This record gives sequence, structure tokens and C-alpha cells, in this order.
Amino acid sequence: MYDPQPPDVQNDQTVACADARATVVEMADIWKAFDDFQALSGASLELQAGEIHALLGENGAGKTTLSNVLTGIYRPDVGTIRLDGEQRRFHSPAQAIAAGLGMVHQHFRLVEPLTVAENIHLGRPELPRRLSRRRLISETAQAMEQYGLTVNPTARIWQLSIGEQQRVEILRVLLRGARVLILDEPTAVLTPSEATELFAVLRRLAASGRTIVFISHKLHEVLAVSDRVTILRRGMNVATRPAAKMTPEKLAKLMTGTERVMEAPRPSKGRGKPVLELRNVSARGDRGLVSVREASCTVHEGEIVGVAGVSGNGQRELTEIATGLRHPFEGTVAIDGQDLTARLPGDFVSAGVGHVPEDRIGSAIVPSATVVDNAVLRAFRTGELSRAGVMRRGAVRVFTDRLVTAADVQLPDIDVPIANLSGGNQQRFVARREAWAADRLLVAAHPTRGLDVRAADQVREVVLDRRDAGCAVLLVSDDLDELLAVSDRIVVMYEGRIKGDFTAAKARRKEIGYLMGGGDLVGGAGAEAPS
Amino acid sequence: MIRLQRRLRVDRRRSITLRLAGVVISLLVAGVVLQISGSPALMLGRRAVETMTTPYGMEQGLVLATPILLTALAVALGFRMRLWNIGVDGQLYIGALAATGIGLNVNGPTWLMLTLMMVAGAAGGAFWILGPALARAYGRVNEIITTLLMNFVALQVVNWLSLGPWRDSTIPDLSATRRIPYELPILPGTNTVPIGVIAPFLIAAVVFFIFRFTTWGYEVDISGGNARAAEYAGIDVRRRIVSVMCISGAIAGASGAILVAGTTHRLSSTISNQYGFSGFIVAALAAGAIVVLILVGLLVAGLLVAAITLQTLGLSVDAVLALYGLILIGNVVAEVAARYRVVRTTKPPPELQFAPAEALAGAGPQGLSALTAAGSPPESTD
Ligand SMILES: Nc1ncnc2c1ncn2[C@@H]1O[C@H](COP(=O)(O)OP(=O)(O)OP(=O)(O)O)[C@@H](O)[C@H]1O
Ligand SMILES: [Mg+2]
Repeated sequence: MYDPQPPDVQNDQTVACADARATVVEMADIWKAFDDFQALSGASLELQAGEIHALLGENGAGKTTLSNVLTGIYRPDVGTIRLDGEQRRFHSPAQAIAAGLGMVHQHFRLVEPLTVAENIHLGRPELPRRLSRRRLISETAQAMEQYGLTVNPTARIWQLSIGEQQRVEILRVLLRGARVLILDEPTAVLTPSEATELFAVLRRLAASGRTIVFISHKLHEVLAVSDRVTILRRGMNVATRPAAKMTPEKLAKLMTGTERVMEAPRPSKGRGKPVLELRNVSARGDRGLVSVREASCTVHEGEIVGVAGVSGNGQRELTEIATGLRHPFEGTVAIDGQDLTARLPGDFVSAGVGHVPEDRIGSAIVPSATVVDNAVLRAFRTGELSRAGVMRRGAVRVFTDRLVTAADVQLPDIDVPIANLSGGNQQRFVARREAWAADRLLVAAHPTRGLDVRAADQVREVVLDRRDAGCAVLLVSDDLDELLAVSDRIVVMYEGRIKGDFTAAKARRKEIGYLMGGGDLVGGAGAEAPS
Repeated sequence: MIRLQRRLRVDRRRSITLRLAGVVISLLVAGVVLQISGSPALMLGRRAVETMTTPYGMEQGLVLATPILLTALAVALGFRMRLWNIGVDGQLYIGALAATGIGLNVNGPTWLMLTLMMVAGAAGGAFWILGPALARAYGRVNEIITTLLMNFVALQVVNWLSLGPWRDSTIPDLSATRRIPYELPILPGTNTVPIGVIAPFLIAAVVFFIFRFTTWGYEVDISGGNARAAEYAGIDVRRRIVSVMCISGAIAGASGAILVAGTTHRLSSTISNQYGFSGFIVAALAAGAIVVLILVGLLVAGLLVAAITLQTLGLSVDAVLALYGLILIGNVVAEVAARYRVVRTTKPPPELQFAPAEALAGAGPQGLSALTAAGSPPESTD
């Protein structure tokens, strides 16, 4: 029968907040081991109503694990969780969300073929008994308005940009009545403008009395958006501090325990022969639209070419063309003078191309396979690791050990599924593996995304080392600072076209920004004729 | 506090031990239920064990185990790539058909003819899955449905041949083909077991070797784990799909050839005692472990033999099936249990904890305060 209860009574805009500084959550002395691996060793966290609380720490410090304990995904071995002063024990995520603790994960958990409205209502406990499409849509639209998070309710998830998908995830959690909202590295996948929008939303939510836990490796944004900061190291608390009293340097030091050593800029020792040559390539994206248009680009031995641009302007498709994962419908792709247009990715691998893709979890690792199997994903055909189709298992293990050590990956041991590694450790692993695979060309999309300060520095070093060893590097990033720091040349992508070509020395932030926004440079003004 | 904790990896030996325990517990439970409901459980049990341990019972078990193990291997091979070959029965029939066709229509020395029959059987099975395999690889057509449907087609073809052109008209009312003049030799040391019984063990060894040591096996595992990553690694996933499905079909087809050449000697539409179905269950229970697959397959075959005895002793078919199900459930529970361990969750002893001094070396005053704060509420923020 028809359920007369009006929709969304329990999702009132203002959550009861008598005292803005009241302690909402108190996690004390939390211990959590995976087999013999101690992920949390007495960590604690105290959250107040209406605050944005940043959780910081190096890769593998235990940030995700601590959040998972709070939201009922893991049960702590030892430790207490108090909610509003009352001790609670959650046996499932459902119980935690019923108590108002919700989480938006590092990797989204949406049902791709369903619409936004359907996803938002999926598994919502107080669903009216009779549902119509129209009702779902209107309730979704209403909630969006209420929280200032708008997405087309009838769009299907796979049609959305990452930023829009994230808004859907947040809405989903809010509609279940979350008072405490944990966001695990929400900005790692966002463009700078999307991130700015997200921060506005977070501030509004905090102003309405909710508590936001914000996990990030980008120290500037942490300081800009949060009220307090808790720092974890190796599963233990180092400090909790008001953000206003901190600087990025102080935070980095607390996280790592050492001063950050800045390497002096390392200019190229001069470039050699062309390695990657793209000639007038055009290609379609996943949704069938032309997303790379007549792009031409040459990357030489010993040079790093940075690709700047706002995410979604064809950078991903460009990297896929350069590695054989996507075939252009016009134009040619050559590596070392050899025409590889329309050849299989395997031919690019044999030609010495390494690739750190944007979506590492989805396309560069096999989550269910062991660390060993993932380590040799690129190199298993080489004589070092196999002979005549037979794997040399001893050599494979030695190779894995070397890779894991070089990449400074924290892990229980190399025979566990790689899915058990922390997000950042997976990223380090892929970045180093691909640097090793890249004999001639390294194509890297956002290689430092999701990495802590120290690991990001290390990955930048590796990229520079490859270049100095004579490898060509195509580096995509939406972080202009990073591009300016390591690139020898910078090109800009806008709506699938490659525009501008700056030598790093002459590159001016303003001009690049102008091109990224769709402007055109006329004549000289710092631009060079493409080589 | 005592708790269950998930293990990072499953130890094969523990899994096998727990499964054996699962079988024993299931049998005990069944015995108690039977006793309560008035059946002489102990007597039944003794007779069942006697049957299974007589030379004849063991030989019967091995004969039954051959097609079950082979179809299980065929299914398990598909599982490596997350492919579901539901059509093993159909491939078995077509393999048997191909072997029968050669056996009835070609003349030659026995060893040569038997070899040809085996090859024909494997080719027939592979041919029967080729369509679904290509459709899956190049058209993304779900193989579960196509392979399932091909079962019915196979059965109709066999029906037509064994009742029509190839039917043995010298015996009235026989709905089977003429007798094939070539027979597999009997395994030395047994009275009734055809030599084909070694096939599953040989194939299992080969499969084990391939997946443990070869790049091809690695490529298949990677393709099954994440097809996009496999493509990224330069693996031609579509070709791997076709070859894995065809080999799976070939193994099922070979089991059909062994069945007609060793056991039934005539082709009819009833030669498979739902072997494919049993094989599927065995493969699913084994969860990818070859050694476990062999053990579970032998167990299932033994149960089928014992079931015949139990039925002659008056236990109803339903009761026998329930017993069968109980043992399989025991296996599933054991498989899941092997992934967990019981722990007393406390803080680890100091020597297992990270050495705090090392962990926080050089951290300055904050590091030290964290040390003292470990185990107490978080450091307050003035
Ligand atoms: N399910 C699991 N099984 C085994 N080990 C795990 C599991 N989850 C996490 N770990 C380990 O616990 C440690 C902490 O992991 P966690 O994911 O909490 O790190 P994090 O602080 O979120 O790091 P990142 O910044 O890289 O995401 C890591 O070393 C990881 O390998
Ligand atoms: Mg994490």
C-alpha cells in the first residue's frame, strides 16, 4: 500500500548541534592487524561537530584502515569507539551508517549501468514501499538542491565525469543520514576546479553541523580547507593540531619525521633522436566522441614533454594512443621510426614503452593476483624472466623483491594479493615497474597522484633518471607546478588539440593557463613552432 | 576477545585437512539423523564402506571418476579465465560421437584406431565449443547461455544418429549404435578399469605444470583476473579466450571418447550420467586447486558407488541425495573456514610491535609525545 510518510523527513538540513565544538566521535587506542602485519598500533582520533578534520600520513600509515574501522568495515582488534560519549561497536557498515557514520571510498562503489537516481536510492533503508521512476527522480532532485550537489538524476553513471560520480557518492551517503562524512582522498581524481567546488560543498556541510574527515596528500589544500589536522605514522598518532598553526613544511616533517630534501632542478643534458612521433592523430573516446583532433607531437631521447591541460581534454586518449591501447582513425604513430599505427599494445611493450595509466587500479594491476604476478606484468617475456615460454620462478621472485625494495613499497610479503596494499603503495609499485619497463619511452599520467610527499619526490626522481638514461618521457598532469618542475618542454591540450609548445625555460604560467582555458596565442609570445 | 580473522592467503594443506574433517562431520551428522529416524545407521555405514573398499567397489569408483574428473578439469580450466563452460556434457557427447564415427566406419590396427578415436573425441569437443568461444571473444556474447544451449543440440544429434543411421538393428528395442569393435585395454592390476582412467591424472599434471611454470598459463591467469590489465600488458585476451575454451571443450570431448571406447562401447543418448553436472560441482568445490579437485572428484565418485548400495539396502533416493548434499555442504564450509583463523585479539607482545624508537626516529618533540600518547587518548590541541 501507499506509504503516507513524506520523503526525507529525517534528512533535515540542520543536524542537531547544540554546541559547535562538542565531541562527536572518539576513537581511542585502536589496534588492527592483518595476519601478522600491524596496520594500526594504538591510533586514536577525536572529531568535533561542525569541523573539517584532515587525516594525514604517508602511504600505508593507516588512514584508510582507521576510517574503515570507524565505518564498521573492519573491526578493531583492540580499542574503543565512542559516539556522542557512548561506547559503540559496529559489526557492519550498515550499522555504522545507521549511526550516522558514512564514507566515500578511494575507489567509487557505484553501479555503472544504473542512473544517478537509482544509485542514490540503492540500499536506502527508509525507501517508500511503492516506487515510481518519477518519484525517485524528484526526490533525488530535491536532495541535490538541499545539499547543493547537482547532477542530472536520469544520467547513467558511466556517462558522468569523475567529479560528478563523486557528487553522487556523497549524496548517497548524506541521504542515509550521515552526520560524520569521511572522504578518502577525494581530490586525487578531481580537476582543480572540481576540487574547489567540492571544498565549497564540504564547508557548507560543516556549517550545518556535520563533521567531515578529509584524507589527502595535497598539503596546501589540507591547510586551506580543514580546521584541525591529525597525523598518523605507521599506525600511530603523531599529533593533532589546528590547521591555522601549520605550514606544509611542518606537516611534511611530522608525517615523515625528516626534513624534506628538495633536489635542485635538473635540466636535460640535451635531447637525441626522436622516439615517439605522433602525426595528425585523431581518435574517438569511450563515448564515441572525437576526443583527440589532429594532434602532432614528437618526444625525443633524453627529454620530458609535459602535457598540460584541464582533465578531460583528450589527455587520457592521447596517452592511450601513444601506448597502443587506443587506435586513431587517422594519423600515424611511430616509435623509433617504426610505424606502430593500429598495432597491438604488445608491440608497444616490445618496443620498450612503459605506461603509468591514469586509472591504475582498473588497468595496470590485477587486484586478485599476487604482488609477484603483478610485478612481472610488463617484463615476463624478457629472457631474464622466462625462456621458451617457461617462467623462471626464481628469477621472478628476485625481480619482485628488487622492484618492491626500489619502489619502497610497504607490504606484508610478496605472495599476498596486491589488493591488500594501501592505495599509495599500489601507485608507487606501478610507477616504478613502468619506469623499469620503459627502455625507450615512458608515458606517465599523473604519476604522483595519491602519493605522499616523499614518495612523490621519489617518483619524480625516477622519471628524471629515466630521462637522463636516454629515455623519452611524455608526462601528463593537471598540476602545473609539477609539470614546470620536471618538464623540458610543455604542450597544452584543449578540446583534443595540442596547442602551444614551450621550452620549459620560456614557459610562462599565464600563457599556459590562457591556452588551457581555450585561448589562442597569436604569433611569438613564447610559443615555438612544433619541432 | 576471541575472534575470526581473515587470512591473507589460503594454505592448501589446511584446506584439504579441513575438507576431510568436513566429510567426517557430515557423515556423523547424517548417521545421527538416520539413527533418530529409525534407520540402522551403523549397519548402513558399514555396508557403504564395505562396498567402497571391495576391489569391485573401488574399480567401479574409478570408472565413474574418469568422466567426472575430466569434465571437472574442463570446467576448472575455464574458471581460470572466469569463463563458465556449462556445456561440458554436450562436448562429451560430441566427443563420444566423433570417436564412435571413427570406430564404426574406419578399419585399422587397434592401437591406431584407439588413438584416432581419442583425437577425434578431443577435436569434436573443441569443435562443439568453438562457436560459443568465438562469440564470446569477438562478440562478447555470454558463454554461459551459448554453451548451455549447445548441450541440447548435442543431445539431439546423438539421439538422431544412435536411433537412425548408426543404430544397431540386429538387436530389437536397443536405442544405441552398433558396438564399436575397438576397446580400450584394461588397466594392469585391475579387472574392469579401462586404461583411460589415467587420463585425468595425466591431464591434471599437465594443467598444473602449465599454470605453475609457463608464460601461457600466466597470461591466462592475468586475463582472467583483469582483462584490461592483460591487454595493457600486451596479452591478446581474445585469442586466450578462444584457446582456453577450445582446450576445455577438447578435454570434455576426450572424456566422451574414453567413455565409449572403454565403458559403454556403444553410443546412445544416455551414456552420460550427468557427468558434466557432477564435474561442474567438483570444479566449483575445488576452487581452483588441482590436487583438491582430484580428491573431491574421487570422493564424489565413491559416494555415487556407495549410493547404489545404500539404495539396494532400502534407503530412499531422496535420503541418498540429501546425504550427498550434506557432504558437499561440509566441503564448502571447510573451504570457507580455511580462509579464516581464530585469534585472541589483544595488543601484540612488544617484540611484534613496530619498534617505536625506529618508527619515530628523528621525529622531534611531537614524535616523543606520540610515543607517550600511544595507548592514551589523542594529544589534545591546546
Ligand atoms: N586488507 C588488508 N590486508 C592486508 N594488509 C592490509 C589490508 N589493508 C591494509 N593493509 C596494510 O595496512 C597498511 C595501512 O594501509 P592503509 O590502506 O590504511 O594506508 P593509507 O594510510 O590509507 O595509505 P595510502 O595513502 O597509500 O592510501 C598498509 O601497509 C597495507 O599494506
Ligand atoms: Mg588509503
